Amino acid sequence: MVNNDISGLIIITTIIFLIAPAFILLYIFVYNQRKKRHILEKAQMKQTFQSELIKTQLEVQEQTMQTIGADLHDNIGQLLSLTSLTLNSIELGNKTKAQQKIDAAIDLTGRSIKEMRLLGKLLQGDQLMALGLPEAIRHEINWMEKSGHFEISYTVTSEAPAGNNPDKDLILFRIIQEILNNIIKHAAATDINIEMEYLSEQVKLEITDDGIGFDADNLPMQQRGMGLQNIQKRAGIIGGEVTIKSNPGEGTNITICIPYP
Amino acid sequence: MLSYITISTTVEIICFFVALFCISQDKSIAWRSLVLFLFITCITELLGIHFRKLFVADMTHVHQNVWLYNILLVIQACFISFMFNHLLKKYINSKPIIISGLALLAVSYLSDISNHGFFIYNETTNTVMLVLFVLYGLYYYYRLLKDDTYINFTYSAEFWWVAGLLLFYFGSTASDVFFNNLSPYKASSLRTLSSSIFKALNIILYSCWSYSFICRKWLTMTSAA
Repeated sequence: MVNNDISGLIIITTIIFLIAPAFILLYIFVYNQRKKRHILEKAQMKQTFQSELIKTQLEVQEQTMQTIGADLHDNIGQLLSLTSLTLNSIELGNKTKAQQKIDAAIDLTGRSIKEMRLLGKLLQGDQLMALGLPEAIRHEINWMEKSGHFEISYTVTSEAPAGNNPDKDLILFRIIQEILNNIIKHAAATDINIEMEYLSEQVKLEITDDGIGFDADNLPMQQRGMGLQNIQKRAGIIGGEVTIKSNPGEGTNITICIPYP
Repeated sequence: MLSYITISTTVEIICFFVALFCISQDKSIAWRSLVLFLFITCITELLGIHFRKLFVADMTHVHQNVWLYNILLVIQACFISFMFNHLLKKYINSKPIIISGLALLAVSYLSDISNHGFFIYNETTNTVMLVLFVLYGLYYYYRLLKDDTYINFTYSAEFWWVAGLLLFYFGSTASDVFFNNLSPYKASSLRTLSSSIFKALNIILYSCWSYSFICRKWLTMTSAA
Protein backbone atom coordinates (compact mmCIF):
# COMPACT_ATOMS: atom_id res chain seq x y z
CA MET A 1 0.00 0.00 0.00
CA VAL A 2 2.79 2.40 1.03
CA ASN A 3 4.79 1.34 -2.02
CA ASN A 4 1.82 2.05 -4.29
CA ASP A 5 1.39 5.52 -2.78
CA ILE A 6 5.08 6.28 -3.16
CA SER A 7 5.09 4.95 -6.74
CA GLY A 8 2.17 7.22 -7.61
CA LEU A 9 3.90 10.16 -5.98
CA ILE A 10 7.16 9.49 -7.84
CA ILE A 11 5.35 9.19 -11.18
CA ILE A 12 3.36 12.40 -10.65
CA THR A 13 6.43 14.32 -9.47
CA THR A 14 8.47 13.05 -12.41
CA ILE A 15 5.73 14.11 -14.83
CA ILE A 16 5.58 17.56 -13.21
CA PHE A 17 9.37 17.84 -13.37
CA LEU A 18 9.20 16.92 -17.06
CA ILE A 19 6.39 19.35 -17.79
CA ALA A 20 8.40 22.23 -16.32
CA PRO A 21 11.30 22.05 -18.85
CA ALA A 22 8.82 21.22 -21.61
CA PHE A 23 7.04 24.51 -20.84
CA ILE A 24 10.36 26.33 -20.77
CA LEU A 25 11.18 24.91 -24.21
CA LEU A 26 7.73 25.84 -25.50
CA TYR A 27 8.09 29.37 -24.14
CA ILE A 28 11.51 29.69 -25.79
CA PHE A 29 10.02 28.54 -29.10
CA VAL A 30 7.16 31.06 -28.89
CA TYR A 31 9.50 33.87 -27.84
CA ASN A 32 11.82 32.97 -30.69
CA GLN A 33 8.96 33.20 -33.17
CA ARG A 34 8.18 36.67 -31.84
CA LYS A 35 11.84 37.58 -32.23
CA LYS A 36 11.68 36.39 -35.84
CA ARG A 37 8.58 38.52 -36.50
CA HIS A 38 10.27 41.52 -34.88
CA ILE A 39 13.39 41.08 -37.04
CA LEU A 40 11.22 40.75 -40.17
CA GLU A 41 9.26 43.88 -39.25
CA LYS A 42 12.51 45.76 -38.69
CA ALA A 43 13.81 44.63 -42.09
CA GLN A 44 10.52 45.64 -43.69
CA MET A 45 10.67 49.06 -42.04
CA LYS A 46 14.22 49.50 -43.30
CA GLN A 47 13.10 48.54 -46.78
CA THR A 48 10.17 50.97 -46.60
CA PHE A 49 12.55 53.69 -45.46
CA GLN A 50 14.92 52.97 -48.33
CA SER A 51 12.16 52.94 -50.95
CA GLU A 52 10.70 56.13 -49.47
CA LEU A 53 14.14 57.70 -49.65
CA ILE A 54 14.49 56.79 -53.33
CA LYS A 55 10.97 58.10 -53.98
CA THR A 56 11.88 61.33 -52.21
CA GLN A 57 15.05 61.69 -54.27
CA LEU A 58 13.04 61.24 -57.45
CA GLU A 59 10.45 63.76 -56.33
CA VAL A 60 13.11 66.32 -55.49
CA GLN A 61 14.63 65.76 -58.93
CA GLU A 62 11.21 66.03 -60.56
CA GLN A 63 10.53 69.29 -58.75
CA THR A 64 13.91 70.60 -59.88
CA MET A 65 13.15 69.66 -63.47
CA GLN A 66 9.75 71.39 -63.26
CA THR A 67 11.40 74.52 -61.93
CA ILE A 68 13.99 74.40 -64.70
CA GLY A 69 11.31 73.79 -67.35
CA ALA A 70 9.22 76.69 -66.12
CA ASP A 71 12.24 78.95 -65.89
CA LEU A 72 13.45 78.06 -69.37
CA HIS A 73 10.00 78.78 -70.77
CA ASP A 74 9.03 81.83 -68.78
CA ASN A 75 12.31 83.54 -68.14
CA ILE A 76 15.30 82.55 -70.25
CA GLY A 77 13.12 81.77 -73.29
CA GLN A 78 11.54 85.23 -73.08
CA LEU A 79 14.91 86.92 -72.62
CA LEU A 80 16.41 85.15 -75.65
CA SER A 81 13.32 85.87 -77.80
CA LEU A 82 13.59 89.53 -76.85
CA THR A 83 17.32 89.46 -77.67
CA SER A 84 16.56 87.94 -81.06
CA LEU A 85 13.87 90.54 -81.77
CA THR A 86 16.16 93.36 -80.70
CA LEU A 87 18.98 92.15 -82.92
CA ASN A 88 16.63 91.64 -85.84
CA SER A 89 15.33 95.18 -85.57
CA ILE A 90 18.77 96.78 -85.88
CA GLU A 91 19.06 99.16 -88.80
CA LEU A 92 22.71 99.42 -89.68
CA GLY A 93 22.15 102.81 -91.37
CA ASN A 94 21.14 104.45 -88.09
CA LYS A 95 24.29 104.02 -86.04
CA THR A 96 23.03 105.69 -82.83
CA LYS A 97 19.85 103.57 -82.65
CA ALA A 98 21.78 100.47 -83.69
CA GLN A 99 24.25 101.05 -80.84
CA GLN A 100 21.34 101.38 -78.35
CA LYS A 101 19.79 98.16 -79.58
CA ILE A 102 23.13 96.34 -79.48
CA ASP A 103 23.59 97.52 -75.86
CA ALA A 104 20.07 96.33 -75.03
CA ALA A 105 20.83 92.95 -76.65
CA ILE A 106 24.09 92.69 -74.66
CA ASP A 107 22.17 93.45 -71.48
CA LEU A 108 19.52 90.84 -72.30
CA THR A 109 22.23 88.26 -73.11
CA GLY A 110 23.97 89.05 -69.82
CA ARG A 111 20.71 88.50 -67.91
CA SER A 112 20.17 85.23 -69.77
CA ILE A 113 23.69 84.07 -68.81
CA LYS A 114 22.98 84.98 -65.18
CA GLU A 115 19.73 83.00 -65.25
CA MET A 116 21.50 80.07 -66.91
CA ARG A 117 24.12 80.07 -64.14
CA LEU A 118 21.38 79.95 -61.51
CA LEU A 119 19.76 77.06 -63.36
CA GLY A 120 23.10 75.28 -63.50
CA LYS A 121 23.36 75.53 -59.74
CA LEU A 122 19.86 74.11 -59.37
CA LEU A 123 20.72 71.19 -61.63
CA GLN A 124 23.51 70.23 -59.25
CA GLY A 125 20.87 69.17 -56.73
CA ASP A 126 23.15 66.75 -54.87
CA GLN A 127 25.71 69.47 -54.33
CA LEU A 128 22.94 71.68 -53.05
CA MET A 129 22.08 69.11 -50.33
CA ALA A 130 25.78 68.66 -49.60
CA LEU A 131 25.88 72.31 -48.57
CA GLY A 132 23.46 71.40 -45.78
CA LEU A 133 19.74 71.62 -45.24
CA PRO A 134 19.61 75.33 -44.28
CA GLU A 135 21.38 76.29 -47.54
CA ALA A 136 19.16 74.03 -49.66
CA ILE A 137 16.06 75.62 -48.13
CA ARG A 138 17.50 79.07 -48.77
CA HIS A 139 17.96 78.15 -52.42
CA GLU A 140 14.37 76.91 -52.67
CA ILE A 141 13.14 80.16 -51.13
CA ASN A 142 15.18 82.23 -53.60
CA TRP A 143 13.29 80.61 -56.47
CA MET A 144 9.95 81.27 -54.83
CA GLU A 145 10.83 84.89 -54.18
CA LYS A 146 11.71 85.39 -57.85
CA SER A 147 8.03 85.01 -58.75
CA GLY A 148 7.39 88.24 -56.85
CA HIS A 149 4.18 86.88 -55.32
CA PHE A 150 5.58 86.12 -51.88
CA GLU A 151 7.36 87.92 -49.09
CA ILE A 152 9.43 85.23 -47.40
CA SER A 153 11.38 85.54 -44.17
CA TYR A 154 13.75 82.71 -43.35
CA THR A 155 15.72 82.37 -40.13
CA VAL A 156 17.99 79.66 -38.84
CA THR A 157 18.39 80.32 -35.13
CA SER A 158 21.17 77.87 -34.28
CA GLU A 159 24.14 76.12 -35.87
CA ALA A 160 23.66 72.75 -37.55
CA PRO A 161 25.33 69.90 -35.63
CA ALA A 162 28.72 68.72 -36.91
CA GLY A 163 27.54 65.27 -38.01
CA ASN A 164 24.57 65.73 -40.32
CA ASN A 165 22.20 63.02 -41.52
CA PRO A 166 21.90 63.23 -45.33
CA ASP A 167 18.87 60.86 -45.44
CA LYS A 168 16.92 62.92 -42.95
CA ASP A 169 18.04 66.15 -44.64
CA LEU A 170 16.67 64.93 -47.95
CA ILE A 171 13.32 63.83 -46.50
CA LEU A 172 12.99 67.07 -44.52
CA PHE A 173 13.83 69.08 -47.62
CA ARG A 174 11.12 67.25 -49.56
CA ILE A 175 8.61 67.89 -46.74
CA ILE A 176 9.42 71.60 -46.97
CA GLN A 177 9.00 71.50 -50.76
CA GLU A 178 5.57 69.86 -50.29
CA ILE A 179 4.52 72.50 -47.75
CA LEU A 180 5.68 75.34 -50.01
CA ASN A 181 3.88 73.73 -52.97
CA ASN A 182 0.69 73.57 -50.90
CA ILE A 183 1.08 77.26 -50.03
CA ILE A 184 1.57 78.16 -53.71
CA LYS A 185 -1.38 76.04 -54.89
CA HIS A 186 -3.99 76.48 -52.14
CA ALA A 187 -3.12 79.08 -49.52
CA ALA A 188 -3.25 82.34 -51.53
CA ALA A 189 -0.67 83.63 -49.07
CA THR A 190 1.57 86.65 -49.44
CA ASP A 191 3.72 86.39 -46.33
CA ILE A 192 5.59 83.24 -45.44
CA ASN A 193 7.72 82.84 -42.35
CA ILE A 194 10.14 79.93 -42.04
CA GLU A 195 12.08 79.30 -38.83
CA MET A 196 14.55 76.54 -38.37
CA GLU A 197 16.15 75.59 -35.08
CA TYR A 198 18.64 72.85 -34.21
CA LEU A 199 17.88 71.76 -30.65
CA SER A 200 19.74 69.09 -28.73
CA GLU A 201 19.12 65.86 -30.62
CA GLN A 202 16.34 67.28 -32.76
CA VAL A 203 15.61 69.82 -35.44
CA LYS A 204 12.52 72.02 -35.31
CA LEU A 205 11.04 73.68 -38.34
CA GLU A 206 8.11 76.07 -38.26
CA ILE A 207 6.40 77.38 -41.39
CA THR A 208 3.71 80.02 -41.06
CA ASP A 209 1.68 81.69 -43.82
CA ASP A 210 -1.04 84.35 -43.90
CA GLY A 211 -3.18 82.48 -46.40
CA ILE A 212 -6.84 81.49 -46.39
CA GLY A 213 -6.23 78.61 -43.97
CA PHE A 214 -8.50 75.63 -43.45
CA ASP A 215 -10.22 73.75 -40.65
CA ALA A 216 -7.30 71.52 -39.67
CA ASP A 217 -9.28 69.61 -37.02
CA ASN A 218 -12.24 68.71 -39.20
CA LEU A 219 -10.72 68.25 -42.59
CA PRO A 220 -12.38 65.30 -44.38
CA MET A 221 -10.01 62.54 -45.48
CA GLN A 222 -10.59 63.14 -49.19
CA GLN A 223 -9.72 66.81 -48.75
CA ARG A 224 -6.54 66.09 -46.84
CA GLY A 225 -5.00 65.36 -50.19
CA MET A 226 -1.77 63.50 -50.84
CA GLY A 227 0.29 66.50 -49.75
CA LEU A 228 -0.68 66.58 -46.07
CA GLN A 229 -0.72 62.79 -45.82
CA ASN A 230 2.73 62.59 -47.40
CA ILE A 231 4.08 65.19 -44.99
CA GLN A 232 2.77 63.22 -41.98
CA LYS A 233 3.95 59.88 -43.41
CA ARG A 234 7.44 61.08 -44.29
CA ALA A 235 7.95 62.75 -40.93
CA GLY A 236 6.79 59.51 -39.26
CA ILE A 237 9.33 57.46 -41.19
CA ILE A 238 12.20 59.44 -39.69
CA GLY A 239 10.61 59.37 -36.24
CA GLY A 240 9.32 62.93 -36.38
CA GLU A 241 6.06 64.68 -35.58
CA VAL A 242 4.08 67.24 -37.55
CA THR A 243 1.64 69.65 -35.91
CA ILE A 244 -0.72 71.54 -38.20
CA LYS A 245 -2.60 74.52 -36.81
CA SER A 246 -5.00 76.28 -39.11
CA ASN A 247 -8.39 77.94 -39.16
CA PRO A 248 -10.32 79.39 -42.10
CA GLY A 249 -9.10 82.95 -42.75
CA GLU A 250 -6.32 82.74 -40.17
CA GLY A 251 -3.46 81.26 -42.14
CA THR A 252 -1.60 78.07 -41.37
CA ASN A 253 1.15 77.12 -38.98
CA ILE A 254 3.02 73.86 -39.47
CA THR A 255 5.61 72.67 -36.92
CA ILE A 256 7.87 69.73 -37.64
CA CYS A 257 10.09 68.15 -35.01
CA ILE A 258 12.54 65.49 -36.15
CA PRO A 259 15.09 63.62 -34.01
CA TYR A 260 18.46 64.76 -35.33
CA PRO A 261 21.06 63.76 -36.40
CA MET B 1 24.41 -11.95 -24.73
CA LEU B 2 20.82 -10.74 -24.93
CA SER B 3 21.05 -9.51 -21.36
CA TYR B 4 23.42 -6.81 -22.58
CA ILE B 5 20.76 -5.43 -24.89
CA THR B 6 18.54 -3.24 -22.72
CA ILE B 7 16.52 -0.17 -23.67
CA SER B 8 19.21 2.09 -22.20
CA THR B 9 22.15 0.39 -23.91
CA THR B 10 20.23 0.31 -27.22
CA VAL B 11 19.46 4.03 -27.26
CA GLU B 12 22.98 4.84 -26.09
CA ILE B 13 24.59 2.72 -28.80
CA ILE B 14 22.26 4.16 -31.48
CA CYS B 15 23.13 7.67 -30.28
CA PHE B 16 26.84 6.79 -30.34
CA PHE B 17 26.60 5.60 -33.96
CA VAL B 18 24.64 8.70 -34.95
CA ALA B 19 27.35 10.80 -33.30
CA LEU B 20 30.07 8.78 -35.03
CA PHE B 21 28.45 9.37 -38.40
CA CYS B 22 27.43 12.99 -37.88
CA ILE B 23 30.02 14.72 -35.70
CA SER B 24 33.22 12.66 -35.73
CA GLN B 25 34.57 15.02 -38.44
CA ASP B 26 33.10 18.18 -36.89
CA LYS B 27 35.31 21.27 -36.87
CA SER B 28 34.55 21.89 -33.20
CA ILE B 29 36.56 19.83 -30.73
CA ALA B 30 33.74 20.14 -28.17
CA TRP B 31 31.29 18.43 -30.50
CA ARG B 32 33.86 15.83 -31.59
CA SER B 33 34.60 15.02 -27.95
CA LEU B 34 30.98 13.92 -27.52
CA VAL B 35 31.70 10.88 -29.70
CA LEU B 36 34.33 9.80 -27.21
CA PHE B 37 32.02 10.59 -24.31
CA LEU B 38 29.23 8.47 -25.79
CA PHE B 39 31.68 5.65 -26.48
CA ILE B 40 32.81 5.70 -22.85
CA THR B 41 29.16 5.80 -21.71
CA CYS B 42 28.27 2.79 -23.86
CA ILE B 43 31.29 0.82 -22.61
CA THR B 44 30.46 1.74 -19.00
CA GLU B 45 26.85 0.60 -19.42
CA LEU B 46 27.93 -2.72 -20.92
CA LEU B 47 30.59 -3.21 -18.25
CA GLY B 48 27.99 -2.27 -15.65
CA ILE B 49 25.74 -5.10 -16.83
CA HIS B 50 28.72 -7.46 -16.85
CA PHE B 51 29.78 -6.55 -13.30
CA ARG B 52 26.21 -6.81 -12.07
CA LYS B 53 26.10 -10.36 -13.39
CA LEU B 54 29.36 -11.14 -11.61
CA PHE B 55 28.00 -9.60 -8.41
CA VAL B 56 24.76 -11.62 -8.60
CA ALA B 57 26.84 -14.76 -9.12
CA ASP B 58 29.22 -14.08 -6.22
CA MET B 59 27.99 -11.46 -3.77
CA THR B 60 30.64 -12.20 -1.18
CA HIS B 61 33.73 -11.59 -3.27
CA VAL B 62 32.56 -9.16 -5.94
CA HIS B 63 31.58 -5.54 -5.35
CA GLN B 64 28.46 -3.94 -6.83
CA ASN B 65 29.02 -2.12 -10.14
CA VAL B 66 28.51 1.26 -8.45
CA TRP B 67 32.24 2.11 -8.52
CA LEU B 68 32.04 2.05 -12.32
CA TYR B 69 29.32 4.72 -12.29
CA ASN B 70 31.37 6.73 -9.82
CA ILE B 71 34.10 6.85 -12.49
CA LEU B 72 31.48 7.75 -15.13
CA LEU B 73 30.40 10.69 -12.93
CA VAL B 74 33.87 12.24 -13.34
CA ILE B 75 33.79 11.70 -17.10
CA GLN B 76 30.25 13.13 -17.36
CA ALA B 77 31.23 16.20 -15.35
CA CYS B 78 34.27 16.88 -17.53
CA PHE B 79 32.73 16.30 -20.98
CA ILE B 80 29.42 18.06 -20.32
CA SER B 81 31.18 20.99 -18.65
CA PHE B 82 33.50 21.22 -21.65
CA MET B 83 30.51 21.28 -23.97
CA PHE B 84 28.75 23.95 -21.90
CA ASN B 85 31.94 26.00 -21.96
CA HIS B 86 31.83 25.78 -25.76
CA LEU B 87 28.15 26.84 -25.85
CA LEU B 88 28.43 29.69 -23.37
CA LYS B 89 31.71 31.19 -24.57
CA LYS B 90 29.84 32.70 -27.52
CA TYR B 91 28.05 34.98 -25.09
CA ILE B 92 30.26 35.36 -22.01
CA ASN B 93 33.66 34.51 -20.63
CA SER B 94 32.43 31.12 -19.45
CA LYS B 95 35.70 29.70 -18.15
CA PRO B 96 35.41 31.08 -14.58
CA ILE B 97 31.86 29.69 -14.26
CA ILE B 98 32.74 26.27 -15.66
CA ILE B 99 35.97 25.97 -13.64
CA SER B 100 34.11 27.00 -10.45
CA GLY B 101 31.45 24.38 -11.21
CA LEU B 102 34.09 21.71 -11.73
CA ALA B 103 35.82 22.73 -8.51
CA LEU B 104 32.51 22.42 -6.63
CA LEU B 105 31.97 18.99 -8.14
CA ALA B 106 35.50 17.93 -7.20
CA VAL B 107 34.95 19.00 -3.59
CA SER B 108 31.62 17.17 -3.47
CA TYR B 109 33.16 14.08 -5.07
CA LEU B 110 36.05 13.96 -2.60
CA SER B 111 33.64 14.53 0.27
CA ASP B 112 31.44 11.64 -0.92
CA ILE B 113 34.43 9.32 -1.29
CA SER B 114 35.82 10.22 2.11
CA ASN B 115 32.39 9.70 3.70
CA HIS B 116 31.48 6.31 2.29
CA GLY B 117 34.34 5.07 0.12
CA PHE B 118 34.41 4.27 -3.57
CA PHE B 119 31.91 1.39 -3.65
CA ILE B 120 28.78 3.40 -2.79
CA TYR B 121 27.28 5.70 -5.36
CA ASN B 122 28.17 9.42 -4.98
CA GLU B 123 24.58 10.68 -4.69
CA THR B 124 25.55 14.14 -3.45
CA THR B 125 27.92 14.70 -6.38
CA ASN B 126 25.20 13.50 -8.74
CA THR B 127 22.70 15.96 -7.22
CA VAL B 128 25.18 18.85 -7.34
CA MET B 129 25.94 17.98 -10.97
CA LEU B 130 22.23 17.85 -11.75
CA VAL B 131 21.66 21.33 -10.30
CA LEU B 132 24.76 22.74 -12.03
CA PHE B 133 23.84 21.41 -15.46
CA VAL B 134 20.24 22.55 -15.14
CA LEU B 135 21.52 26.05 -14.24
CA TYR B 136 23.98 26.03 -17.15
CA GLY B 137 21.19 24.92 -19.48
CA LEU B 138 18.77 27.58 -18.30
CA TYR B 139 21.46 30.26 -18.45
CA TYR B 140 22.33 29.20 -21.99
CA TYR B 141 18.67 29.56 -23.01
CA TYR B 142 18.52 32.96 -21.31
CA ARG B 143 21.53 34.16 -23.33
CA LEU B 144 20.05 32.65 -26.47
CA LEU B 145 16.83 34.62 -26.01
CA LYS B 146 18.67 37.83 -25.16
CA ASP B 147 20.77 37.55 -28.29
CA ASP B 148 19.64 39.81 -31.14
CA THR B 149 20.30 37.33 -33.90
CA TYR B 150 17.52 34.96 -34.83
CA ILE B 151 18.24 31.23 -34.79
CA ASN B 152 15.75 28.67 -36.04
CA PHE B 153 15.62 26.33 -33.05
CA THR B 154 14.00 23.55 -35.06
CA TYR B 155 17.37 22.93 -36.72
CA SER B 156 19.64 24.17 -33.94
CA ALA B 157 22.03 21.44 -32.73
CA GLU B 158 22.93 23.40 -29.59
CA PHE B 159 19.28 23.97 -28.68
CA TRP B 160 18.38 20.27 -28.87
CA TRP B 161 21.54 19.17 -27.08
CA VAL B 162 20.69 21.39 -24.10
CA ALA B 163 16.98 20.44 -24.35
CA GLY B 164 17.83 16.73 -23.98
CA LEU B 165 20.05 17.44 -21.01
CA LEU B 166 17.45 19.67 -19.30
CA LEU B 167 14.64 17.16 -19.78
CA PHE B 168 16.84 14.34 -18.47
CA TYR B 169 18.11 16.13 -15.40
CA PHE B 170 14.79 17.82 -14.54
CA GLY B 171 12.96 14.55 -15.01
CA SER B 172 15.38 12.57 -12.92
CA THR B 173 15.11 15.00 -10.00
CA ALA B 174 12.03 13.31 -8.51
CA SER B 175 13.55 9.83 -8.70
CA ASP B 176 16.87 11.03 -7.33
CA VAL B 177 15.27 12.87 -4.41
CA PHE B 178 12.98 9.99 -3.49
CA PHE B 179 15.70 7.37 -3.66
CA ASN B 180 18.20 9.47 -1.79
CA ASN B 181 15.82 10.30 1.03
CA LEU B 182 13.43 7.38 1.21
CA SER B 183 15.94 4.57 1.66
CA PRO B 184 13.67 2.63 4.10
CA TYR B 185 11.18 2.26 1.26
CA LYS B 186 13.60 1.00 -1.36
CA ALA B 187 11.43 -1.95 -2.19
CA SER B 188 11.97 -3.88 -5.41
CA SER B 189 8.78 -2.43 -6.99
CA LEU B 190 10.16 1.08 -6.43
CA ARG B 191 13.49 0.04 -7.90
CA THR B 192 11.65 -1.20 -10.99
CA LEU B 193 9.76 2.08 -11.19
CA SER B 194 12.96 4.09 -10.90
CA SER B 195 14.56 1.93 -13.55
CA SER B 196 11.56 2.48 -15.88
CA ILE B 197 11.71 6.25 -15.31
CA PHE B 198 15.42 6.28 -16.18
CA LYS B 199 14.77 4.19 -19.28
CA ALA B 200 12.18 6.74 -20.44
CA LEU B 201 14.51 9.63 -19.60
CA ASN B 202 17.36 7.93 -21.45
CA ILE B 203 15.14 7.62 -24.51
CA ILE B 204 14.32 11.35 -24.30
CA LEU B 205 17.95 12.36 -23.71
CA TYR B 206 19.52 10.27 -26.45
CA SER B 207 16.73 11.05 -28.94
CA CYS B 208 17.31 14.77 -28.43
CA TRP B 209 21.07 14.31 -28.68
CA SER B 210 20.80 12.14 -31.82
CA TYR B 211 18.60 14.78 -33.44
CA SER B 212 21.06 17.44 -32.31
CA PHE B 213 23.92 15.56 -34.00
CA ILE B 214 21.88 15.21 -37.19
CA CYS B 215 21.19 18.97 -37.12
CA ARG B 216 24.91 19.57 -36.63
CA LYS B 217 25.65 17.41 -39.68
CA TRP B 218 23.03 19.31 -41.73
CA LEU B 219 24.59 22.57 -40.66
CA THR B 220 28.05 21.39 -41.74
CA MET B 221 26.70 20.13 -45.08
CA THR B 222 24.72 23.29 -45.84
CA SER B 223 27.57 25.62 -44.82
CA ALA B 224 30.00 23.57 -46.97
CA ALA B 225 27.59 23.78 -49.92
